[in-house]
Amino acid sequence: MSKEERYIDTFKYFLLPFCLFVFGLFALMLAVYFSASIPIFQHEGIKIYTTNIWRASENPNKEFYGVLAAIYGSVYTSVLAILIALPLSVSFAVFVIDYAPQKVKEPLIVATDVMAGLPTIIYGIWGAFVLVPLLKKYVMDPLYAYLSFIPLFSFKPVTGYSYFSAGVLLGIMVTPFASAIIREAYRSLPFMYREAIYSLGATRYEATKILIKEIKPAIVAGLLLAFGRAIGETVAVSLVIGNTFNISPSLFAPGYTISSLIANQFGNAFIYKYMVSALFAAGLSLFFIGLAVNILGILILRRYGHVR
Amino acid sequence: MGKNIYCLIIPYHMKKVFVVLSVLVLAAAIAGCAQQHKTTPTAPTTTPTKTTPAKTTTQQVVLIGDGATFPWPQITNWIDVYMKEHPNVKIEYNGGGSGKGQADFAAGVVDFAGSDPPLKKSLWDKLVNHPPAEGKGPLQFPDIIGAVVVCYNVPGVKHLRLDGKTLADIFMGKIKYWDNEEIKKLNPGVNLPHKEIIVIHRSDASGTTDIFTTYLCLVSPEWNSTIGAGKVVNWPVDKMGRGVGGKGNPGVVAELKNTPYSICYTELSYAIKENLKIVALKNKDGYFVLPNATTIKAAASHVSMYIAPPTAGYKENLRQLLNAPGKDSYPIVAFSHLLVWKHYSDPVKGKAVHAFIKWILTQGQNDKYIVPGYVGLPSSITQKVLSEAGI
Amino acid sequence: MSDNLNIRILKEKLFLICIGILTIATVFPLFHIMYSIIANGLPVLIKGGWSFLTGTLAPPGDGLGGIGPAIVGTFILTALASLIGLPVAVLTGIYAAEYPNSLIGRATRTLLMIMMEFPTILVGLFVMNLVVLPMGSYSAIAGALSLAIIMMPYVAVYTDEALKSIPPKYREGAFALGLTRAKVVFKVLIGLARKGIMTGVLIGIAKVAGETAPLLFTAGGASRVYFDGLNRPIGAIPLLIYNLVQQPYTNYHEIAWGASLLLMIIFLGLFLPIRLSLKEVKL
Repeated sequence: MSKEERYIDTFKYFLLPFCLFVFGLFALMLAVYFSASIPIFQHEGIKIYTTNIWRASENPNKEFYGVLAAIYGSVYTSVLAILIALPLSVSFAVFVIDYAPQKVKEPLIVATDVMAGLPTIIYGIWGAFVLVPLLKKYVMDPLYAYLSFIPLFSFKPVTGYSYFSAGVLLGIMVTPFASAIIREAYRSLPFMYREAIYSLGATRYEATKILIKEIKPAIVAGLLLAFGRAIGETVAVSLVIGNTFNISPSLFAPGYTISSLIANQFGNAFIYKYMVSALFAAGLSLFFIGLAVNILGILILRRYGHVR
Repeated sequence: MGKNIYCLIIPYHMKKVFVVLSVLVLAAAIAGCAQQHKTTPTAPTTTPTKTTPAKTTTQQVVLIGDGATFPWPQITNWIDVYMKEHPNVKIEYNGGGSGKGQADFAAGVVDFAGSDPPLKKSLWDKLVNHPPAEGKGPLQFPDIIGAVVVCYNVPGVKHLRLDGKTLADIFMGKIKYWDNEEIKKLNPGVNLPHKEIIVIHRSDASGTTDIFTTYLCLVSPEWNSTIGAGKVVNWPVDKMGRGVGGKGNPGVVAELKNTPYSICYTELSYAIKENLKIVALKNKDGYFVLPNATTIKAAASHVSMYIAPPTAGYKENLRQLLNAPGKDSYPIVAFSHLLVWKHYSDPVKGKAVHAFIKWILTQGQNDKYIVPGYVGLPSSITQKVLSEAGI
Repeated sequence: MSDNLNIRILKEKLFLICIGILTIATVFPLFHIMYSIIANGLPVLIKGGWSFLTGTLAPPGDGLGGIGPAIVGTFILTALASLIGLPVAVLTGIYAAEYPNSLIGRATRTLLMIMMEFPTILVGLFVMNLVVLPMGSYSAIAGALSLAIIMMPYVAVYTDEALKSIPPKYREGAFALGLTRAKVVFKVLIGLARKGIMTGVLIGIAKVAGETAPLLFTAGGASRVYFDGLNRPIGAIPLLIYNLVQQPYTNYHEIAWGASLLLMIIFLGLFLPIRLSLKEVKL
């Protein structure tokens, strides 16, 4: 028996380094982001996160970076994305589980799985060449023409590249992902619930309303995780966001996101003293937003038993 | 039933994928080792004379460059011609912008770089004192003369004339509409629309921006005092919602084509290639000139060009070709530069880079290899830099 | 009373129509994307022919050339990433499955899930700092390392779940034969779980073959040189598309569409067989 136990331990100790390697990698990543951000914090303190200035200069004293516009843009576009994803993903889950004819049920689910895995650059090229012109012509221009007195629509859509375009594209990209989580939770509701509700004479609409309430935590978690995906997306967004240091409440204004800022500026950052550090600090904020949202989402799923 | 079929099929299918994968990995590993073997024996050669030219020509060399998009069409053309003449040399040049070129060169991740503005002293000192492992002793050469042109996309307007101050006011956002009085005055008889001007500029650190903003500083005291010049500037038009950023000259041109009532600055060859409408700019002597080979050459001939020795590239002055006097001179003309190392840690690569540079500065300046929109360097300049560099 | 019922039935109809439309709206973009990619990409593939797959990039504004270096690069990067990432991922997955209730086991599962959702551009920046700068070159190895980090959690999670889904009787039987834990896992359980593990591997591969952001500052890109050693820059199809889309030249846009169609075919070729053989996948 004791011999047996020793064997078990050696196996554990054989595997442990690999496990720790993954942890080490993650910790190292965090350490790199922290240490690389230090110079900019020493240079300008918290202002890196609270101002919207991008002043590069060969003279380090004149350099000043504030990534507020990018943080704002990231949050704005991701919120838009989940506002779009919410009705779509819930409807999709309900329809597929309860109402879809058997024949289309499986193809519909396969289609959303393909969408969830599709390379993001494909969304990017489609977004830049197809979606943005369509949105500009049929959504942005008319809304601006008739409703520009509302602040949300007050910006004249110039190129079409805007928070709105990025939000819609992200919404399309993350909906399948959110709906997979919601679908799982909705499916796992005990059949008894449905029987009980229908036996009271409820219509399908009323039944669904009650059932949806039951899986609220899963919906919240699904949307949180979708938010995490949206905020980290890089190439598709950077092709449609406009890449301008701009903070505007208007949907049709161009802007920046943290990831597109990094994608655009990191290549030339090394000639300046503080720009690399500023971009790492921007990355650090993305790191924490992503981490917080994901942990929260996973915890909610665990807590309510919808373990993924 | 269906499930059983998959159980039978999948493992086989996956095995195949696995075999293909492992073959690929093996191939990659072998190729990688082969590469190592090819380069390592040359490193410890006892005397430099031992590496005979015959030996180097049979050896495959790959050179990687990055940087300015201003000369990108020209450099690509040179590379294509050069690779045809020297099949053993492969060259990649990615147009990531002058900023990326300088940054990558300083970090030692490329073999050569393109940069429009001459390097600033701070960066030059860094290259001299803290070179990367790749090489040491930075050298900077002019390789081509080009022009920054102002292009516009205004439906119905075919000819547009601007002077320096009006141009600065447009890019500062002070002039908001196309039918502004200042623009009208310069363009009598042109039917200008009452539309907002959309200003398109570079979003990355750009040599083209540096040249253009330096010119604006020369012609507009207000621009000079409020915005200044640099590879990146804080565009006031962005905050007014009328500014759009494009990445690289290609990105800017793409935005201009998609955006009616917009204006941008870019390199002449892009404007020619994409058939863009170009602004005739008022030069120092008060004439409106369009950019072309004649007017660029005129600008170059009216100033006594000072070319800093390649070993002290930071001494060169970007302003010398800007706003040149002379009736025919186009006002925004500039050299583009290449950055290489005098000594490379890999001698084979060093030889190949130097041979390529020499070719560019000699045969490469031949008119038949020059892309429309650029002007070759006078041979007095190329002779001088080649002899001073000692490569 | 009957009025009330009518309203309720009306509401129900309205509701069904609504969710039907929203469901269509969810999947409609996929068909529009596929249509756009095929409509724009197929003529390019036909016009470019075989040399589109093998040749090098055309000069701006002049012909189609080929995307050979990018295709070669994508294959090499994916293979290398698998080589680096798979062993660690599978062993980590085994740990999580074998010691599910230990502190490290639980923490590992959480970490893997976080890593699945992690912004991929941050991985690229990290590898740039860690590998590219010290090594002094953008390189295939740096690109592959980024992709390996992104691939790991998928493979590990699938391994973990595949092992856990094996009925306990196999495990008990194996132990009853007096095998050590290592032998039980490697000789018996892995064999039983191989389908699940391979699924994870293939999903991981399908995922990283289409990744762009982690390659931006690591692989470097190449459009004229096929392969120049593991320590030198390398191309990739997604990276090439990203760069070409931002160019003004019509021929570059055409090449980008052609490359997108190719990428989509590669992705669907890997993904659809797996997906159709399973009930559900995690992405």
